[in-house]
Formats: sequence, structure tokens, C-alpha cells
Amino acid sequence: MLLNAVILTLREVIEASLIVSLFLAFCQLSGQPKKTILAALFLGLLSAILYAFNISAISQWQNGIGQEIVNASICFLVYLFLLIFLATFIKSDPKSSKQLQSLAMVVGITLATTQEGAEIILYLLGFTFSPELFRPVLFGSLIGAGIGLSFGIFIYYLLINVSKKSSLRIGFIMILLIAGSMIMQAIQLLTQIDWISSQYPLWDSSAFINERSLTGQLLYALIGYEATPTPIQVISYVVSLMLILALSAYLYFRDQRQPNA
Amino acid sequence: MVNYSKRLPFILATLLSVLSPLSIAGSPIIEIEIRNHLFFPDVITIPADTKIKLMIYNRDNSSEEFESYELNREKIIPGKSRAVIFIGPLPAGEYPFFGEFFPKTAQGKVVVK
Repeated sequence: MLLNAVILTLREVIEASLIVSLFLAFCQLSGQPKKTILAALFLGLLSAILYAFNISAISQWQNGIGQEIVNASICFLVYLFLLIFLATFIKSDPKSSKQLQSLAMVVGITLATTQEGAEIILYLLGFTFSPELFRPVLFGSLIGAGIGLSFGIFIYYLLINVSKKSSLRIGFIMILLIAGSMIMQAIQLLTQIDWISSQYPLWDSSAFINERSLTGQLLYALIGYEATPTPIQVISYVVSLMLILALSAYLYFRDQRQPNA
Repeated sequence: MVNYSKRLPFILATLLSVLSPLSIAGSPIIEIEIRNHLFFPDVITIPADTKIKLMIYNRDNSSEEFESYELNREKIIPGKSRAVIFIGPLPAGEYPFFGEFFPKTAQGKVVVK
């Protein structure tokens, strides 16, 4: 039971921890206040509690597909705000883009924490019905959360200790891939409720990297790895990345032409 | 010349089947229960290339998360509630699923024939 608690919590915490560490590193490098990130974390925790305690009502909504609708919306919104963040990433000077970036970071973290946090809370709440297991499970969860946080701290220090240029590049790519994985997740959720037609997977790489394996899990958190993705998932993933790249490139070159715009 | 007006119903039918989420024709329903962190039945057999609507009733007080890497499905089912998950159409094979919150006991598989 304890080991399962470690793994489950780690899986959830690692995703949120990654986004938070990337944004914290960005704040550190660009001289933006880190307080907003911590406030967003707190906000996310609150809404995770709200979500967890209303899960029954949310789940029964729309004949039992409310959970997918809410979660897919969260994924799309996180994507949208990561897109805003990345599009304004390169032009760091104007004040308006700084405000937009803060907003994008706050909303992104709040929403990501809501989804991951609610799952951990629901998991832990389940053990209040078997009190003898509650302690080991809570302990396991704390260990899992600890490992997840350490991973985030590791990424943070890694980023702020390499040259600013390469750390911004790595950060950009990592956030870009997280954004793409949000779209993958949203498509999977909408397929699960039959809003999008199910398809045969485009390939099966589970013999190569299994989703259950540590590598698979880590890749899932980092780039949204899926061993058996459907054509729609792959296409949406690629298109979602291209969209961000195109928008960032457009804004970058536009600003280069008019340095003071 | 081909008479398209005669073919129109078929073309429409094909279109509708492609836009299957919009078609109302119901998928076969299979019911699964979760009791004491176990799936009943724990093996379900479904035909290949068919979309199935899984109705999962969680009779326990605690939440469970239905999860399957092979089926690409993941959904929290709160205690004392019912959840709907669509699976398929799938090629023949075995697709294990499990309850992520109680994975030691909550194990099952979908056999596609």
C-alpha cells in the first residue's frame, strides 16, 4: 500500500512540480517576482480541495461525462496560457508582455495544480474508510511528494546554473512540450466520452518504452509520452506545437523589425 | 452517368458513421461493478471493431480510478457512484485495466475477440 501511495503521489506531483520549477527559473532569470508563483500554488491547492469535494456532482454532470469535460477544458486552458506565455517569452522588455506572462504563469499553475492535487486528495480521502491503512498511505504520499518536489528543485537549479541563453532555450522547449502533452490529454479525454471518434493507434511503442516503466512515466510527465497514440492525437500534438512555434516566431521577427514597438 | 441522388442515402449513412459521436445509435453497454476494491466481472469479452459503453458502478465508499495504459483510459469514479467510459473499436487482443487507487486487488482485463 505504501509503495503504491509513493508512486501515485509522485506521478501527480512531478507534473505540477515541473511546471512550477520552470516558471520559477524563468522568474529568477528575468527578474520577475516569485511571489506570484507561490500565490498560484496556494490558489491551485484551494481549488483542488474544492474539486475533490465536489467530484461526485462534477462526475454526474451531463450523464456521467462531466469529469472529462472539466478536465479537458483545464487541459485546453493550460495549453492556451502556455501559448500566451511562450509567445511573449522572447520579447521580455515591454511591460504589457510581463503582465501577460505573470497572468499566464498564475493561471497555468493554478489549473495544473487543481487537476493533479484533486486526484491525490481523493486518493487519500478513500483511506479514511480504512483507518488502519491511512497512516502508511499518508506516509507514502509524503515520500512521493518529496521525491516529486526534489525533481522540481533539481530542474530549477539546473536551469539557473547554466548560461542564461541555454537555460531560456531549454525552458522554452520544455514548456512547449508540456503544452503539447496537454492537447494529447484533452483529445484522450474527449475520445473516452465519445465526443471524438476512437481510432486504431498509429503505432505501438510499448515494447520499446512501456508506459508503466519508470522511463515511460517520466517521459509522460515531460513530453506527454503515449505508447499507442491515435492519429488524431499525433496530429493535434504536432499542430499544437507548430502553432506556438509559428506565433513565437512571428512576434519575434515583428519585434526585431520594430525594436521599440 | 452515375445517378448520385440514388446513392445519397448511402453517402449520408457513411458520413454519419464517420461522425459517429453525432450518431444516436447506442453502443452495446457492459456493466462492471467495483466491490471491496475488486472488479466484477474482472474479465469482459467484447467483439472486435465494436464501440462499447462501459458502465462502472463503484459500490465502495472510497473513490477508485479506472486506468488502462493499453486502452488509453483514465477516470476517477467517486465512491457510491456510476461512471461511463467508451472503449473501442479495438483490434483483437487483451487489454488489462486496473484501479489505480487499489492496484493490488482491483485488476481486470478486456478480451477482444
